[in-house]
Amino acid sequence: MHSVARPLASTASLVALLAAIPLIFVGYNSSQLTLAKWVALWQNRIPELLANTLSLSVLVAIGCLILGISSAWLVARRDFKGRRVVSWLLILPLAIPTYVFAHIYTIMTADDGWLGQIWLVFFDSSLDIFNIWGTALVLTLAGFSYVFLLVRIALMDANRSLEEAARIQGASSLAVFWHVSLPLIRPAIAAAMAVVVLHTLSDFGAVSMLRFQTFTLSIYLQMSGRLDYEAAAGLSLILVALSLTFMILERFFRRRARYFSTAQSRHHTARKASKGELVIIWSWLGLICLFAFLLPLLWMLQWTWQAITNGAIDARFWGYTFNSLTVGALAATLAMVIALPVGLFHTRIKSRLSSACLYFSSVGFVLPGPVVALGIISFAVFALPALYGGLTLLVLALVIRFLPLAVQSQEAAMQQLTPSIEQAGRVLGAGPLENLKRVILPMIRGGMASAWVLVFIDSIKELPATLLLRPVGFDTLPVRIWIEASEEMLELAAPAALIIVIATIPAIWLMARTGVNNNGNQDEAASRGF
Amino acid sequence: MFGLKRLFILILAIILPFSGQLVFAGEQLVVYSGRSDRFVLPVVEAFTEKTGIKVILHNAESTALLNKLTLEGKRTEADLFLSNDAGNLQVGADKGLFLALPDELAANIPAQYRAPDNAWIGLSSRMRVLVVNTESGNVDSINSVFDLADPALKGRLAITSSANGSYVAGTTVYLLAAGEEKTKQWLEGMKANVDGKVFNKHSAVVKAVAKGKADVGLVNHYYIYRHLAEHPNSPIKIVLPDQGDDGMGVAENVAGVAISQYSKKIDAAKKFVAFLVSEEGQKIFAEINREYPVRPGVATAAEVPIAGSFKVSDVAMYKLGAERNRTLDLIESIGMP
Repeated sequence: MHSVARPLASTASLVALLAAIPLIFVGYNSSQLTLAKWVALWQNRIPELLANTLSLSVLVAIGCLILGISSAWLVARRDFKGRRVVSWLLILPLAIPTYVFAHIYTIMTADDGWLGQIWLVFFDSSLDIFNIWGTALVLTLAGFSYVFLLVRIALMDANRSLEEAARIQGASSLAVFWHVSLPLIRPAIAAAMAVVVLHTLSDFGAVSMLRFQTFTLSIYLQMSGRLDYEAAAGLSLILVALSLTFMILERFFRRRARYFSTAQSRHHTARKASKGELVIIWSWLGLICLFAFLLPLLWMLQWTWQAITNGAIDARFWGYTFNSLTVGALAATLAMVIALPVGLFHTRIKSRLSSACLYFSSVGFVLPGPVVALGIISFAVFALPALYGGLTLLVLALVIRFLPLAVQSQEAAMQQLTPSIEQAGRVLGAGPLENLKRVILPMIRGGMASAWVLVFIDSIKELPATLLLRPVGFDTLPVRIWIEASEEMLELAAPAALIIVIATIPAIWLMARTGVNNNGNQDEAASRGF
Repeated sequence: MFGLKRLFILILAIILPFSGQLVFAGEQLVVYSGRSDRFVLPVVEAFTEKTGIKVILHNAESTALLNKLTLEGKRTEADLFLSNDAGNLQVGADKGLFLALPDELAANIPAQYRAPDNAWIGLSSRMRVLVVNTESGNVDSINSVFDLADPALKGRLAITSSANGSYVAGTTVYLLAAGEEKTKQWLEGMKANVDGKVFNKHSAVVKAVAKGKADVGLVNHYYIYRHLAEHPNSPIKIVLPDQGDDGMGVAENVAGVAISQYSKKIDAAKKFVAFLVSEEGQKIFAEINREYPVRPGVATAAEVPIAGSFKVSDVAMYKLGAERNRTLDLIESIGMP
């Protein structure tokens, strides 16, 4: 066993070091800020950014809780026709990147848009979503599915006999939910909140399309509007600290509230919905599905059709698609491979070093796209100028940003590897490498496959780092959506968005399936969300 | 073993042809373009057809590209920088990023439309004008951009967000022509008039005025004609501000081009610039967006006001560079939305 320990430890440490590059360089850059500049930042920018970022996070969290818990409860506790279809429709919004969501909503709510026209029938002034409410709405529609997914699983797992006991004692439906169900699903809610808030903190797409100044947007603007990398680094550091604080708080609160259900309480059929309940279910869930998925989908289909009939889908367009797939495949493969030693090290030899490696390789969780890009650019300028140009920097940024996904799915798969299996291999005469090849890899291939798929999907959707780091003339689908959207060329943005959505659906399927199979493992399901 | 090997072969198959494309490129120019692809592509296609030289457009915001050029220094792959803002071009020139253009190329363009040392030259010009709703009774007295600060226009003024490049450049012109105090008051007045509600795009400003949601808007001239081309009966018209003997004239801004100091294909790059300033190139480049060609004698689109028939501010374009940060600071200190 110990013959593999040392090489494993050093490779895992190397990977952790690689993942830490952006953070190190952002830290270095911000250390170049003079005290006077820090003071100026604190006085002029930070209070507003902090207020904006935090209030947006709170609004999105509340919105996601309302939509997510209500829909999860209806789907988990009532049986009705079309329940399966609705469950899918409630997850599918995750396939739409936030910049696409925001772009579609700005067009639909304009005075001549589908929603804007309806609005003007009832109100005098135009529908304005370029503010915190609009931004929160878009991010809520784009993110409530995380709450839905996790809370639904928790509700299905929760011991129903407790609820039934409360009902027999004469408690009303609402009282049962409030005093029995809610405490049981609290850990799931906390996990989902963590996902939603971290997404909001790192979101670039919606806030940039809707011009709502948060830390992430401001960092990007510092880098692209003025050449002020030091101020950008200073803001990045605060954002990272904010995300970390939040993650630690969430872990702390969740640890204190764990409920265990007894294993035999699995098989329950949801109660058939009554006529009155059906009306509520159909109107409420229908409304959510309509705004979170069906309308945007319809919009994309309409403009894609327009693009096809106008002949706008040409070789150039397929070139962008090909570029996206190339970047995604490269990042996914690399992340999958380098996540292996980290996961293996931690499962095999649990030590302080292995945990440290695990944590550091997960640093991408708290690094929004512009921050990763900033760190990578500074790294290349100072340390490795030869890397400049070409795909290297972009792929490196994507790998670091999404490495946590790869590490976590593989680590989860490795949990089932008991040392005895490997020892059996050794006894039968297999060396460490052969053991890896013939015993370990075949057993964790499911985890590796899902690592690949998850990194691939997130890489082809990624916008800000790709904008800043793509090689010359190398446009991907998100980059084109960004450019076309800023030029108001709708019929070109729509097909690109549609392709991204279609390509993302397999990952959603995987996520939903794993969520259902690994009942109760909320940590894992939550991390899948990234 | 789970096809890892196959996967690698697949990945290699994907990258190899691609990297080959990067290495074995024939004669081609890389243009960092801060201007919409749809306005640049026609002229690029005409150039490639004529010379056989391929052009790769790398599109992003002008300032982001300038930052990229600065950062890359001599490692840059860019041969040319195309921007729709003279301010950005001059900032690049001040940083020594560009190669001075030879006189025989620069001489095609009047001196006020290029850098003093010809580090960049202008290609087309756009006017900062007012669009008014012809059915509104509120606008007859408006004949200067500074009238937009009039409290009478509260809730009736349409402007873009101050993040817009044309907005910043226009403000710099007013700063230079009318002084900081007056410009500051003007911005504050407009801020009060719009009350937090600004538009994302110039086209949305024109649309709002056309629909009667606002009486007057501040835009680049071609947005008005773009809207009229789609809606010929729209009740809007152009007002050229600050005319008359004591008026400062309409603020203008030019889109222009520069050759990178570190280009390894200077001859091809010069050919491209030569094409852009030729009569043929000027016609395509300016007309497609209804801008004013800067080369004298090239006709403008029929619907726009004839060049020379109105007074234009005499602020030289290169000055937009040095003052750009002052404008940004002013806008930020006022907290313009």
